[in-house]
Amino acid sequence: MTTSNKEFDSFLAISAWLTGFEAIELQGTGMTSVYFSTLQKNITGANLEVFFAEARSVLLTAEKDPVAAKARTLSHLMQNSSFNNLAKQIILMWYIGQWFPEPAGDARNSTQINAQSYVESLMWPAADTHPPGAKQPGFGSWAERPIKVDTFNVTMGK
Amino acid sequence: MNAIIQQRSARKRHKLVRKDISYSECGTIPTLEGLRHHLQTAIEIEHATLPPYLTALYSIKEGSNAFAYQAIQSVAMEEMLHMILACNILNAIGGHPAINKEHFVPAYPGYLPHSDDALLVGLAKMTPETIETFLNIEQPAASGAPPQPNHWHTIGQFYEAIDYALSHFEHVTEGGIFTGDESYQLDENDYYSGGGKLFKVRNLADAKLAIEEIISQGEGMNDGIFDSDHRLFGEEVDIAHYFKFNEIYIGRRYTLTDTPEAPPSGARVDIQWDEVYNMHPNPSIKNYPQGSPLWQQTNDFNKTYMAMLDSIHCAVNGKPEALKRAVPLMFDIKYKAIALMKTPYKDGKTAGPSFEYVR
Amino acid sequence: MSENEYDVVVVGSGIAGAVLAKVLTQAGKTVLMLEAGLQAGMALKPEEDHANYQSYLERFYASTIKATNTPYPELKDALSINVLDIDAHTPYETGYMVQLGPLPFASDCLRAPGGTTMHWLGNVPRMLPNDFQMKTRYDQGVDWPISYADLVPYYEMAENEIGVAGDVTSQQGPDMNHTNYSRDYVFPMLKIPQSYQDQVWMKNTDGLDVFLYGKQYTVSCISMPQGRNSTPNDHYRYGTTVWDRASQSLKLTNNNEHYEVVGATWSGYTGERCEGNASCVPICPVQAKYNALKTLKKSDPDKIKIITQAVASQVLIEEGGSDVCGIMYKSYTDPNSIEYTGHIAKGKIYILACSAIENAKLLLASNVANTSDQVGRNLMDHLVLLTWGLLPEKGYPYRGPGCTTYIPTFRDGDFRKDFAAWISPIDNWGWSWPTFAPGSDVTEAVINKGMFGKDLRATLNANVPRQTLLHFECEQPPCPENRITISAKYKDRLDNYRPVIQYDASNYMRKSFQAAKKVSDQIFAANSIENFTVYSPSEPDYVTYDGQGYTFRGAGHIVGTHRMGTRADNSVVDKNQRTWDHKNLYLIGCGNMPTLGTSNPTLTMTALTYQAAESILKQLESIT
Repeated sequence: MTTSNKEFDSFLAISAWLTGFEAIELQGTGMTSVYFSTLQKNITGANLEVFFAEARSVLLTAEKDPVAAKARTLSHLMQNSSFNNLAKQIILMWYIGQWFPEPAGDARNSTQINAQSYVESLMWPAADTHPPGAKQPGFGSWAERPIKVDTFNVTMGK
Repeated sequence: MNAIIQQRSARKRHKLVRKDISYSECGTIPTLEGLRHHLQTAIEIEHATLPPYLTALYSIKEGSNAFAYQAIQSVAMEEMLHMILACNILNAIGGHPAINKEHFVPAYPGYLPHSDDALLVGLAKMTPETIETFLNIEQPAASGAPPQPNHWHTIGQFYEAIDYALSHFEHVTEGGIFTGDESYQLDENDYYSGGGKLFKVRNLADAKLAIEEIISQGEGMNDGIFDSDHRLFGEEVDIAHYFKFNEIYIGRRYTLTDTPEAPPSGARVDIQWDEVYNMHPNPSIKNYPQGSPLWQQTNDFNKTYMAMLDSIHCAVNGKPEALKRAVPLMFDIKYKAIALMKTPYKDGKTAGPSFEYVR
Repeated sequence: MSENEYDVVVVGSGIAGAVLAKVLTQAGKTVLMLEAGLQAGMALKPEEDHANYQSYLERFYASTIKATNTPYPELKDALSINVLDIDAHTPYETGYMVQLGPLPFASDCLRAPGGTTMHWLGNVPRMLPNDFQMKTRYDQGVDWPISYADLVPYYEMAENEIGVAGDVTSQQGPDMNHTNYSRDYVFPMLKIPQSYQDQVWMKNTDGLDVFLYGKQYTVSCISMPQGRNSTPNDHYRYGTTVWDRASQSLKLTNNNEHYEVVGATWSGYTGERCEGNASCVPICPVQAKYNALKTLKKSDPDKIKIITQAVASQVLIEEGGSDVCGIMYKSYTDPNSIEYTGHIAKGKIYILACSAIENAKLLLASNVANTSDQVGRNLMDHLVLLTWGLLPEKGYPYRGPGCTTYIPTFRDGDFRKDFAAWISPIDNWGWSWPTFAPGSDVTEAVINKGMFGKDLRATLNANVPRQTLLHFECEQPPCPENRITISAKYKDRLDNYRPVIQYDASNYMRKSFQAAKKVSDQIFAANSIENFTVYSPSEPDYVTYDGQGYTFRGAGHIVGTHRMGTRADNSVVDKNQRTWDHKNLYLIGCGNMPTLGTSNPTLTMTALTYQAAESILKQLESIT
């Protein structure tokens, strides 16, 4: 399985753009390689190349004009006809840890990628919590609001 | 209550602290204020071992090295316990533990406070070298090693000096030295921790028991490794930190007939030294440009760590219930440390938790 | 090939079997225990135990769909019911349980070392005194042959063994107050902290007046007692349960020391406190939640022999008599193979403790203990009505144990003449049960709405933490037509019978759903909760009442299939839980319960187990 560094980097960058998580947050899951491999296993090299070319174009636009980039994402990446829904598949991988072969078809027909993909699935931190059965926050934590760190303060409780 | 602790300690581990040494033979602590200062140092020593132990612990990849993980985790939990026990002693003699001050947080790599500067300790992933450092931290004193408040070679000597000074000052001071407010004491309702028990310190006997607990859990005894001969279904007998680390280092369990001077000769344990995150040693926020993603993640980590120290500080300065807030923060630190250790930094190595003071 | 004769043969290593094993072996009796599940799951050495448990966790993490039995290996030779097999259209025979209908039975249990306590939630409220007299008070069901008061000392033993965290003084409600407990009684541990979400709920719900069929009720919210490790209670005074030969009774010893929590079976350093995994069902990763293996480990190892991968297939009766002379079991090596070897387990006394489903099935397969024709009948469950919505502010669900607070208001009352009582846990796990949230929220947003990026993240963050779920566990009374049977048409891989279920929900239940929904609507209104509850006719267990549809789900509280009673012609066991028909055969477990009440049955069943253990010891000591 060959990994083109440029494609890998594009994958991380477009994943950040599509998921709304920073690249460093995605890297902190340790799942980037696994998800990239999953893509390579399920999508032909040619299709990936074309997708990443469009992705790089969107990201370039985003640097100067995020609004235009969002519009372009919607029209060129998020339609059911866009690259066979690859953008959606990428978002679902990161958020749910599952591969959806046909997002527009039967959404229940998905497969868990592996055990770690569950533990690192992002829908839980997106909802201010953790995956049930992993990353447990400790005794009594549920009696308070979730811990939040901003640049200046750590807040807990009321 | 303390009788039970004594019984548990005696049943499980032998004592190392010598009782027969005379005042003139040892390095001494000259004043009560000096004694309080040394207790503050004891607290700092216990804490100073935590970031290295936790870093090694969290460097273990999920699903691997279950034996090493459980061993190091149990040690870390007991070090927390020791730290709080030392706070109890300091509070009992009218002192005030300072947990969240800048000097409390050591710089890594560094020497443990008041030591003889023989042992440089850093933040590193779990490797044989890292475990060897831990062995040196927990090394039992050679029998005959005198108590030493400064330039000690083993932590046991340091505590023995404190133990002696507590007895001395209690004896010579009108009304005794245990004048602290009992409501400042923490006990097992405030913190739970595996093999050890947290108990209130109200008098000299309690204080000596606390020191005994600390030393025997750390270094163990000089005439054996195991002490208990009762077992239920597969109940594990607890051994001191030094021997736990040695089991990892050598890759074997101790048997009931092994002696402390010899390596463990029992069943092999599977240590997968490769299954650790390839963390760049001694991470520091200074390595990253201000505001960069790694800077932010590291800052987040440090802020969470400081919040934990704040809760402990609050708890040991009159509000024991604040310790409950420390628990979720401890868990949060773990996940942030692991996320950092999965994030590439440079030279094929990853970032990691830096445990630095920040306000 | 027969085995040496033991004092007792016990089938099943769940909480009933484990309590018996501990009590009987510590009283000096020898026990042979048969368990259908894998040897690996019975690992009593720490390293193997830990490795096996990690394999449960890995299976759970790696499964695409996560249901109650997901972590545990599927054994074709000893199948467990799979809730994912449920189908709206009966009859069907997918999987293990054959569902003849009209409605599909919605609950499951687990055949594995430790039994269903491996996946249970761990809620342990006691039954109420009136629950034992449903016929006398409400002309529903039957009366028990014993009273609540009879069970109180055994409840204390059960709470001691399980390790209950809770607050006795707050257990107030209909037929509930301090007189339900012994004087000065406290639970071993302080209550599990009530969740932040509970506190949001309680602001507008505790003290709320609601109206139902012209009557007013005041809603209250109280902490839920649970078998989950928390801070020890300094005032708890008991040690353990021991057999006092002189008085021929079981007694709780006194203990002046600090209560010691029991952590994970592989390490005392793990599981000393709940860590907020929020995955109690189906597995607690640190074993802060009680499971029966913790009790089994305290058996006297010299007095117990445990044979795993042994599926009991028949109870044998002596020639020309009525005593049991052995239990035939099939031993498998490969859990998916059709190959097995046959053996007979022998003892002086025989005990079936392998769940209400399996006990009944085994009795039917053996054609024993059934002069009353009640074996397999009176199958009951809590039928669960769920209602869900969005709070106006974040309650932060998906955190902490499944339930830390409940509403006791409708656990008892005159209305029980008319419709089923219920207990109402306030659930901490968001909408996951009814809608498969938050995954369904993600797929909806991404696939259907084309959301992405920061907008997607912000939308999920704004909505999922406001999800809230209210839960009504409605008490099903005994009905002889709700039953387990067997048929030669339905056998498993080892040629053992599969359970065949006939099941329905009466109007007594359906009116209860109507009532619960009316109450829920008022509670939602008081909390400004935006209602999202939907019941769809295509769902399994969708029923109609008075022009409205309701979908119910199964609570996993399977009881009643070999009930106790005062007469041999209408019950299977007497009040000592010995079968009327066979003097050396005891049945233990939820199958003994004549009615269900509104509590999770495990605690009551465990109390009954201690009571039965006493009878068994008395009987053993009278024959030796």
